[in-house]
Amino acid sequence: METAVTSVQTRTAAGGRVASPARRPRRRGQGRLLYVLPAAVFLAVLSFYPLVQLVRMSVSNVTASTLNASWDFVGTANFTAGLVQGDLGKAFWNTAVFVIVVTVIGLVGGLAAAIVLRHSGRISGLLLGVMVFVWALPPVVNGSVWKFLLGDNGLINGIVHATGLAGAPIPFLYDEHFALMSVALVNSWAIIPFNALVFRAAVLGIPAETFEAAQIDGAGPWQEIRHVLLPAVRPTSLVLAVLTIVYAFRSFDFIYVMTYGGPGTSTNTLPFLGYLQAFVRFDYGLGSATAVLTVLMVLVLAVVYARSVRKEEAE
Amino acid sequence: MKFPSLPSTPKTPGAKRRGTRTIAAVGAAAVVSALALTGCGSGAGSSSGGSSKEITVWHYFSDPNQVKVMTDYADTFQKNNPGTKVNNVYVPYDQLDSKLIASAGAKSGPDVVVYNGADASNLALANTLAPLDDKWGTFADKSQFPESVVHKVNGKTYGVQGYVNLLGLWYNKDILTSLGVQPPKTLSELEDAMGKAVAAGKQGMTLSGLPQSQGEWQAFPWLSSAGFSYGSPDAGALEKGLGMAQDWVKKGYVSKEAVTWDQTVPFQKFAAGNVAFAENGNWQMGTAKSTAKFSYGVVPLPVGSGKVYLGGEAEGIGAFSKNPDLAWKYLQQTYFDKAGQLTAMKDAGSIPSRKDSAADPAVTGNDLLKPFADSIAKNGATYPDDAVPAKNVANVQLAVGQAWSAALGGQSSPSDAAQALNSKLSSLLQK
Repeated sequence: METAVTSVQTRTAAGGRVASPARRPRRRGQGRLLYVLPAAVFLAVLSFYPLVQLVRMSVSNVTASTLNASWDFVGTANFTAGLVQGDLGKAFWNTAVFVIVVTVIGLVGGLAAAIVLRHSGRISGLLLGVMVFVWALPPVVNGSVWKFLLGDNGLINGIVHATGLAGAPIPFLYDEHFALMSVALVNSWAIIPFNALVFRAAVLGIPAETFEAAQIDGAGPWQEIRHVLLPAVRPTSLVLAVLTIVYAFRSFDFIYVMTYGGPGTSTNTLPFLGYLQAFVRFDYGLGSATAVLTVLMVLVLAVVYARSVRKEEAE
Repeated sequence: MKFPSLPSTPKTPGAKRRGTRTIAAVGAAAVVSALALTGCGSGAGSSSGGSSKEITVWHYFSDPNQVKVMTDYADTFQKNNPGTKVNNVYVPYDQLDSKLIASAGAKSGPDVVVYNGADASNLALANTLAPLDDKWGTFADKSQFPESVVHKVNGKTYGVQGYVNLLGLWYNKDILTSLGVQPPKTLSELEDAMGKAVAAGKQGMTLSGLPQSQGEWQAFPWLSSAGFSYGSPDAGALEKGLGMAQDWVKKGYVSKEAVTWDQTVPFQKFAAGNVAFAENGNWQMGTAKSTAKFSYGVVPLPVGSGKVYLGGEAEGIGAFSKNPDLAWKYLQQTYFDKAGQLTAMKDAGSIPSRKDSAADPAVTGNDLLKPFADSIAKNGATYPDDAVPAKNVANVQLAVGQAWSAALGGQSSPSDAAQALNSKLSSLLQK
């Protein structure tokens, strides 16, 4: 092996392209960077630049009449205006509830579905296909269907009425307490297929011998799940938890379609509040300030969560 | 076997994996959030790239009868002008303004814009519309249009309405006959009729309680009937108006579900046949004719001395139209034309804005349009209200729409909703 390496180095040096073996790794590294360049350019144009513009906008006075002109710097005025107007606190609380519901149900539901579907077969294949279909449905279509299903004359209330569970229709989307939970549950339902597919891949990665060994040791199905499966999918859970939190935080489509933030303002979350401020009231500066706060919260949550799990793994 | 060690080789590979994972997770969160929160919607078709024979028209109509007006206009124009092509592009109502503003930033956009007349100032200030003064000033039929349908911002004309839209009280004649009541002329008669309808197992009235501009448009007649006006906002009057609406919900006259309905859904509910009344517009004539399997009629909204907005879509030319002359020709031969306005009346029940069209027997002899015409004369109000500063029209509409929704949905008591709204309005209405 050493001989082969030496001969390659010699030929290269004879070719005059590289003066010394020490420079080769750097050249190789530069070559690698070229491969990264297209992705980096896309990221810079489609993500970094808009993010910079968002932050710029949040500290500027930007309205419909000034959007396409120069922006006056106003410092933290947009942030304080958001607080003074009183909508931010309520939206923050709604977002927190929404994120907790979607994250918990999304992860637990995804894991449960992955465990149920871990064995290959016709039924599990069919169910997986349906789940992929649900996951691929555009949220606006999904939300419209659910709005219909949850209406007074919809399927769900029809079943409730037919089975005698309630005399009057359940106000899924127009009661101030029910509405937020209804939209959060629909949002959870939409993310479960993605989480299930990722969890299933992790479950399938566990060697069959591990389960066999557990069975030989007398473990039942529940103990297999608790002592073999759950520890094995913990690293996957970390990434999925972060993605689900971000998904829940940025959720806008379902609220837009199903409640438009109502009744009143009872389903206004931070992204929807930002939409109202920027695209209904045309105060782009105020809307950007709300969006910046949301991004910061997501980042803080992601860092805190990732560090806590990392600490746990180290112990 | 020896391998050259890399300078960045970590001391503990496991730690690096965890670190990488952490960075990846945080990075993913940042990128996904940034994309989600700064992303733009998909663009609609824009101006026809310089082809002198093609124009693009942006509109927000989804109702089949209103879409038919657009199709008929396109057919008429293409027939009258061989070789031309009209592309009608649908943009959802609450996305039209933001898409126009975004397009203007890229110096593009449609040739013709059919927009909510109330948004004229917002769109003009955002440089999305071209001033029409040169064309409108030399338009031969200009004198046929009342000043109230010409939208001017800072002295320049940015749009003209081809028709007027307003709300009336649609009633199910079969239900009223079975209840033995006449179409109501006063608020107490309306409440009495709704009470009888509910007692007979029917629904009282459908309306929109969506927390946005459509909610404000529907709320204003009732709020103004309780004494509210934007010129002198008063929490007491607001409380009375919002309380009346909440009371209707409590008594079962109006469904709480109205807070999730735009103006299209409640009329579909009415047209299904089990509702006595619908607060809805003249533009629903086509839907009523094609859907309702019962006898129906219209009376002016029984709001006493209250006001009913005179709304409707304004038509203008995009600021970055490649074919402004062809766009103007299209407007002259469709929305601003006598026969064109009668087409809209027949297709969708629009009330023509031209004096000669409005005097046509097809309009004056229409029993359904007459109550709307009566309402224009008795309760008609400028939309948006002159007391609302142009820069705050959208803010006011959203605030009132949310308060209306909160009262109907029971999120707030009428007193709390009125106090909060009055407080917002006091700053928004300052000029």
